[in-house]
Amino acid sequence: MSGSATASASRLAGQGLWSGPGLRLIAAGLVVFNGFFPALWILFTSLKPEAELVRKPITWWPHAPTLHNYVQAFAEQPLLRYLLNSAVVATLATLLSLLVSALAAYAIARLNLRYRQVVLTGIVASSMFPLVTLLVPIFETMRALGLLNTYTALVLPYTVLNLPVCTLVLVSFFQSIPRDLENAAMIDGCTRLGALWHVVVPLAAPGVFTAGILAFVNAWDEFLLALSLNAGAQMRTAPVGIALYQGEFSFPWPIISAALIVAIVPMALLIAFFQERVIGGLTQGGLKG
Amino acid sequence: MGDPVQAPPRQPLLERLRDPSEGTLGLLLLAPAFVLLALIVVYPISKLLWNSFFDLRLSGGGGARFIGLENYALVLADRDFWNATKNTLLITLVTVPGALVVGLGLALLANLPFRRRWPVRLALLLPWALPLSFAGLIFAWFFHTEYGVVNDVLSRLGLAPQNDPTMWLLRPHWAMAAICLTIIWKTSSFMALILLAGLQMIPRSLYEAAEVDGASPWQQFWQITVPMLMPSIIVALIFRTITALQTFDIPYTMTKGGPGYSTQTLAMLIHTTTIDYLDVGYGSTLAVCMFVLSLAVTAVYLRHIGRQAQ
Repeated sequence: MSGSATASASRLAGQGLWSGPGLRLIAAGLVVFNGFFPALWILFTSLKPEAELVRKPITWWPHAPTLHNYVQAFAEQPLLRYLLNSAVVATLATLLSLLVSALAAYAIARLNLRYRQVVLTGIVASSMFPLVTLLVPIFETMRALGLLNTYTALVLPYTVLNLPVCTLVLVSFFQSIPRDLENAAMIDGCTRLGALWHVVVPLAAPGVFTAGILAFVNAWDEFLLALSLNAGAQMRTAPVGIALYQGEFSFPWPIISAALIVAIVPMALLIAFFQERVIGGLTQGGLKG
Repeated sequence: MGDPVQAPPRQPLLERLRDPSEGTLGLLLLAPAFVLLALIVVYPISKLLWNSFFDLRLSGGGGARFIGLENYALVLADRDFWNATKNTLLITLVTVPGALVVGLGLALLANLPFRRRWPVRLALLLPWALPLSFAGLIFAWFFHTEYGVVNDVLSRLGLAPQNDPTMWLLRPHWAMAAICLTIIWKTSSFMALILLAGLQMIPRSLYEAAEVDGASPWQQFWQITVPMLMPSIIVALIFRTITALQTFDIPYTMTKGGPGYSTQTLAMLIHTTTIDYLDVGYGSTLAVCMFVLSLAVTAVYLRHIGRQAQ
């Protein structure tokens, strides 16, 4: 039967301990439970009325599901505004870092530059600086320029934050595009920039997209700078806004859970749609913990 | 104008811009990245060093006053600094190996030949994509003394008395444990994704040969999987260590550094000093010390790992 065939195949792959289909199911179950349970538990919490949340012993499945917490989450705090702020900042930072890193990556991957390895190392090494050490001078400068509580205050640092990842991903994509295509276009009368625009950019689109998702997730998730530079009530990003619910309500968990679900679902869908690209990009240049 | 010396015939400027030489093009293409890096990395780092020699508080009206190394002397005598350093190193020493072990386990499980790969893959991607601060909030609710699911499960299993539940986030050691567990959960999936990619590159023929030689699965794991995986493990460890030294989001959202200062990390101390107390001079000095510390740890680490890998 095919069962024994797959069993022996998996034993060949050094996985003899987990060869049976039943055990394989347990393995998958463990991984899935580990990944989904926290989000699932928050979903359950968000659907329970407060009275049920403070009852002991605690209930697992919501007994009387309600959307009341979601209404509260939007009504008591400008959650929509937080989400909008996050979306604007992350989108702008993503576009800007893609533009800047695409130019740099093309130069590193394609041109005969003497110092290209040094340049690439330099760009990557810049991500090794602890963000919090950059925070102090960035805060002081933004404050002096009156840029605290503006989108600019976050977009510029996030763009730089994303340069290493985007550049690494794009360099490897540019290197995978055959040089001959470009040369052919140039023989046909294209200028170098013309060839870049008409030949390389369309072919690199998947790479640009992958780098874009990684950059977007990075910018969407950032907390320290957003908390320090944009803590004004109307300028908070979603992670900061939701985290600050904690101090403002005596029992904040119903409203926090609802807000978390609202913020997590779009990101989860994005990741679900583009799984393979994300994983490909991560293993090429993902530098996020 | 009116220059008698005839310059060699040059292309018009517009023409040169449209079809520049390699060197010029390279500079043009790299310029935006350089400008941004100078603005957001090089300038701040220099400014940081500069500020660390000044008494500079944004709260008072006075300007900066040069005080030489006084800030550094204060840091060395600052109990909060040493406490935060101890906490940061403890979190690093616990969560980096912790995430490696859990991540390796997840990667080995996820590498089994499943018919449908997406549920397992998504289960690894979701914690990675989740903001650290959200993970902190979720687990703060998990570890809630009265209504948290952790204490509920523990008491159901008979591991904790129901009437005297563990006050996870209200006791120094338990709070540190809860924070470390949360960080391990959050970061192990990134480890797993990197290691999974490494696992999939190991040629099957190695295992087939080992099988023929009668090697047990345990032997295969230590003789084939681990050595072949070493490059991926090192990459994952380096990035995880660098981020662990910067830990901020999870303790901030779970305990705000408390109870007392028992879970305050260096990043949190710098944040409080600078953003809350507006003491830029002292905050800069703390940041320089943290920078030196993370450089030192990374260097020691790289040498140690490099020697092991040989």
